[in-house]
Amino acid sequence: MSLLAWIEQTGLSVWIREAPTLWAFPFILFLHTLGLAFLVGINVAFNLWIVGFSDRYPMAPLERLFPVMWAGFWVNAASGFLLLIAYPAKALTDEVFYLKMGLITACLVQLNWLRQQVFVERDASIARILSARVRQVAIVILIFWAGAILAGRFLAYTYNIMMAGEAML
Amino acid sequence: MDSFIDWILATPPSYFILHYGWVWPVSETLHFIGLVLMAGTVGVFDLRLLGLGKGIAPAPLHKLLRWGIAGFVISVLTGLLFISGAPDQYFFNSAFHVKLACLTLTGINVVLFYSLEFRAVRAMGPFDTAPLRARLMAGASFVLLIAVMCAGRMLTFFRPPTVY
Repeated sequence: MSLLAWIEQTGLSVWIREAPTLWAFPFILFLHTLGLAFLVGINVAFNLWIVGFSDRYPMAPLERLFPVMWAGFWVNAASGFLLLIAYPAKALTDEVFYLKMGLITACLVQLNWLRQQVFVERDASIARILSARVRQVAIVILIFWAGAILAGRFLAYTYNIMMAGEAML
Repeated sequence: MDSFIDWILATPPSYFILHYGWVWPVSETLHFIGLVLMAGTVGVFDLRLLGLGKGIAPAPLHKLLRWGIAGFVISVLTGLLFISGAPDQYFFNSAFHVKLACLTLTGINVVLFYSLEFRAVRAMGPFDTAPLRARLMAGASFVLLIAVMCAGRMLTFFRPPTVY
């Protein structure tokens, strides 16, 4: 807890929390929303394509969307890290935060497996019927992303401690 | 205006969102899911017309837009629910005014696209380049989508003082 209280007193943490400019906390929150939109959004396009169109249209061209998805991921890793620096105790003392991280990790692991199944060389350039297992995983990933969004939203409501420094008094 | 706000606060949706603590966060989650559905379908369709993702046929991407429409409906319904819970926090909020203006421009853009360019876009093959006017409309759509998200996220920071 004292480590968290120390983080709260660093210049970066204070600036994100208290700087009277929209470029501090508000802008970082916007970036986190923007990253979410494209990280999960590309998953929506990719996974729904697997379920609905893979037997009629080739999967290969969809791989070009992946850099946009990864850009969204890194924007969110960075903006999430800054939000964590601003209020370390708020997230780290709330179980919901670990649920969110677990769901995101599960999404990325499954997505990696799915990518290996779908973008098999030469096979990806023709339309083909994907196995039921592949299609099930595509749907599970979308449900897990919805769970991660739910957990992320509830973080704003379920926290026990806002500031470690105040909780220690 | 005050009597209009009082009237909204007396409606069942207003009672629903203010009376049960879980309704607001669950609605926010749905609002975000709606946003993601739009970004993943409308946003990706825009990107394809702009030239990213050559090789993807526009026709199946366009079929995915039904999920984007579902996302839009979810977002409008949950958005109305938020307004019913705290009307003054939206009506007197300049970020909300910007958001409404961007949504109106988006609506005009959609009408223009479907009346002028959709026919040409639907006939495009996987590797075809969209006509210039369609690319401009896709660019406008993409920028407005991000502007709507930005204005929405800024609502919290442009709140008027609470009167109610």
